[in-house]
Amino acid sequence: MQTVNKQQRTTNRPPKWADRFLQWYCRPDLLEEIQGDAYELFYRTASTNQTKARLQFSWNVIRFFKWSNIKQTKNNYSSTNGAMFKSYLIAGFRNAIRHRLNSSINILGLSLALGIAITSFIIIDNQFHADFFHENMNRIYQVTSIIEVDKRTEEWSDSPIMLGPSTFQNQDAIETFTRIEFGYANIRHRDDVFNEQLWFVDPAFFDMFSFPITTGNGLVLSQKNQLVLEKEIAKKYFGETDPIGQSLSLKFREHDKQEFFVSAVFERPTGSTLYPTIILPIANFRDLEPEKADDWAYLVDGTFIMLRSGHSVNELTAQMKMHIATQNTASPQWLINEFRFRPLKGLGLVSNEIVSSVSEGSQREGLISLGVIATFLLILASLNYMNVSIATVATRLKEIGIRKVIGGQKREIIHQFLTENFLMCALAMLVGCLLAYLFFLPGFNSLFPSNILFGFSSGNIMFLFFAGLLLFIGLLSGAYPAFYIASFQPIQILQGREKFGQRNLFSRVLLTLQFIFAFMTIVGSFVFIDNSIYLKNKDWGYKHDNLIAVRVEEKDKFLALRDRLTTNQNIIKMAGTDGHIGKSNSRITFLYNEQRIETVDFQVGYNYLETMNLRFKEGRSFDQTIQSDEVESVIINETFAKTLGWSNPIGQAFELDSVKRYVIGVVEDFHYEGFYHVLGPVLFRIANEDDYNFLAIQVRAGHVYETQELVKSTWASIAPDDTYEGFIQDEVFADFNRNTDANVQLLIFISTITVLLASLGLFGLVSFNTTRRMKEYSIRKVMGANAMQIFQLMNRDYVFILTTAFVIGAPAGFLLVNPLIHLAYPDPKAAGPLPFMIAVFLMVLAVAITVLSQLIRIARENPSDVLKID
Amino acid sequence: MKGTYLGELEELVLLHVGILYPEAYGVAVMDEIEKQAGRSLNISAVHSVLTRLENKGYLKSKMCNPTEERGGRRKRIFLLTAAGKRVLEDANELRNQLYSQIPKVALQYNHLVVGG
Repeated sequence: MQTVNKQQRTTNRPPKWADRFLQWYCRPDLLEEIQGDAYELFYRTASTNQTKARLQFSWNVIRFFKWSNIKQTKNNYSSTNGAMFKSYLIAGFRNAIRHRLNSSINILGLSLALGIAITSFIIIDNQFHADFFHENMNRIYQVTSIIEVDKRTEEWSDSPIMLGPSTFQNQDAIETFTRIEFGYANIRHRDDVFNEQLWFVDPAFFDMFSFPITTGNGLVLSQKNQLVLEKEIAKKYFGETDPIGQSLSLKFREHDKQEFFVSAVFERPTGSTLYPTIILPIANFRDLEPEKADDWAYLVDGTFIMLRSGHSVNELTAQMKMHIATQNTASPQWLINEFRFRPLKGLGLVSNEIVSSVSEGSQREGLISLGVIATFLLILASLNYMNVSIATVATRLKEIGIRKVIGGQKREIIHQFLTENFLMCALAMLVGCLLAYLFFLPGFNSLFPSNILFGFSSGNIMFLFFAGLLLFIGLLSGAYPAFYIASFQPIQILQGREKFGQRNLFSRVLLTLQFIFAFMTIVGSFVFIDNSIYLKNKDWGYKHDNLIAVRVEEKDKFLALRDRLTTNQNIIKMAGTDGHIGKSNSRITFLYNEQRIETVDFQVGYNYLETMNLRFKEGRSFDQTIQSDEVESVIINETFAKTLGWSNPIGQAFELDSVKRYVIGVVEDFHYEGFYHVLGPVLFRIANEDDYNFLAIQVRAGHVYETQELVKSTWASIAPDDTYEGFIQDEVFADFNRNTDANVQLLIFISTITVLLASLGLFGLVSFNTTRRMKEYSIRKVMGANAMQIFQLMNRDYVFILTTAFVIGAPAGFLLVNPLIHLAYPDPKAAGPLPFMIAVFLMVLAVAITVLSQLIRIARENPSDVLKID
Repeated sequence: MKGTYLGELEELVLLHVGILYPEAYGVAVMDEIEKQAGRSLNISAVHSVLTRLENKGYLKSKMCNPTEERGGRRKRIFLLTAAGKRVLEDANELRNQLYSQIPKVALQYNHLVVGG
């Protein structure tokens, strides 16, 4: 051992960082000897070589950094875990019971948001996994046609009937294919005649798609007179008896009855975006429409191919080009730019991009918006919960103080609050699940035509979702309060000096945010609702409330019906027509000045325009006495004239279908297809009587329903084997209205929830604030303040918050919703002040109720009771 | 050696603690080993061995009185326990026993045959 020079010791120290590092990591009981040895060695070496000494010291410190020398920080933690857990549970439970009202309000808010989130997730999950039950899903593609019209391109599900077979023949990338063509037939079942949709498909249909066959045998579509029924349809016609081998009589339009035998029954799983009900071999189509069966110009409703494994669609591009040429030559009015292959996987999500898509799924954008809204609500509810948690801490200060004083570490307090919070969240999640199962999902299923089951696409996803959700909610709502609470100084608490209150900035900012969001949704919703109401009452372009139409395709029945009805006094006018406004129309394109124009093509009977109350702007209507009217005359709408740039449309000519046509009249624009689409050019021309599909009837005002009944019974006497397919013109936009209604209801629901959540948040805070300031209010009362003055005191805080929230939220809501509306409807009404006024009114109402309830509490409370406690 | 599995370094340190009695502590043991056996060990290695020997029960330790050197920090002094003494004796005995059994001829190197 060498003695150390005292002088040396004061001027020459070991490297500071190493020393501090050692002190930091070293176990306290070993620190003295280790540090001592290190220092001794340092001074010894430093007397000869300072640098070496410093290096040596540092090196030694690093070498000492061993597990056995390091502070065991977690030493006393694990022992408390098990025992403390029970204590946390009991404390948390008691606390919740003590503040029953507020706890339940809190959990309720969270449960609502969770219920919505769970429902939304199930819906999104279901839609994104639609069609996954098909085993060959990854190899199946739909062939769609890209068409150019009016300088836009459109993607159509319709594809040439010859495309499938031709493509299949000439290469080996495709294993098999099927076409899908919709058809209709009347089926008689005891005394009722039903008009059912049919699917004509190629025999490979059931090889490609995995619709489970529940009963049946062998090759299900091998014979022409076989058909396959969906389970529910089979029940409808055969009840509980086994339908296999039984016969069904189908009556196709303009043909005689044919008998078919049921060869199998299939099931349509809920995740399917294809909805076949009755499937027949496409060979029948050939019999029904022989001239179309081999015509390249005829388009079927869908063509699907299944690739052989290992091949890709790219191998088919060259061949497709060939087919495009063939198709375009056969049908020059309907030019296809290219064929596109759409994978079956995810077809439902893009089905809105495809015109007349066979697959009916949800729009991807809609699902995403749903998810976003659900997340917003979740965040809102969690913030709510957080706000109230912080506020309720005021009642637990003493408990925290005591816990800390008897040795609870900060970490333990945090764990306690996090545990409590997670338990509450788990409870809320349970309630949320119940809500989703009992109310939200069934509600959604009834609003929108869907049938989504309460379940997830896989167990993994379900587990991940719930675990992730619990973690997210638990942390979001609990982390900040837990840390905030745990940092209180116990002495200050117990002495009563802890300054805690709602005056902190964070809570107020949170509350403001909630109200901003509430205002946004209210304003947004009401703008939307306002617009929807406007659309419902919008002028269709023609008077439509006194019109009935009946679908009659056979000429003899048409004439019979018309003759029988002419004598009726309630019927003012009648006309036959091929295409009917709002129900069916065809489109056609023609060349004008080197430009290809697409127009809606109504082929109508004489008198149709008058019967339908269309308004003439100029010119005249069709006249049966004028010979040229039958072939050459057309009547156009205003948009038609505008599109072609005609300021004087009467007399103008253009070529359509190789015949020169002349404009004899112009009608005002009218809505023929719901309100989603921009109005396009429309023309009317005379149809051949043999082609009539509808009888349009104008009825005397106020007699529509009784006339409808009369027409029904007249029809039954003329054609007992055929269903009555008549309707009131008002109903043609029924689908559209139903859809809008559904959207409106959804929006109202969401707004209600947001307002509810914000109000719950406000209620929680106000109520606790009142509790906290009870002493103050009691003293004021004793000093002589009346209820009004106290009321004003309470309000001061909130008025500011609400006004700020309104100023930010209302315009934000308006700005957000407006582009969406313009996206959905091409011709919306500009929003008035009404939505804003409603928003203000609602919020003021919610706040008033909240504050008033507290005011009543204060007024009732006996000041002496409160002050006695201290 | 026998039964106790006393490592080579452990035996070395144990012996030096005995030698340095009554002032056996980390730095001293390190220096003495360097002096006697020519091995320079790191101080932390020595500490490890000392702690290990204490855990095995061969040494006991105590803090000495504080002195002014080392900035007032006390030293941890190690002392042999009875068990430690015994294990040293056993090891020594075993070694001697084995060594005496080696035939003289094995120790004569000019008789080594290569590849034999």
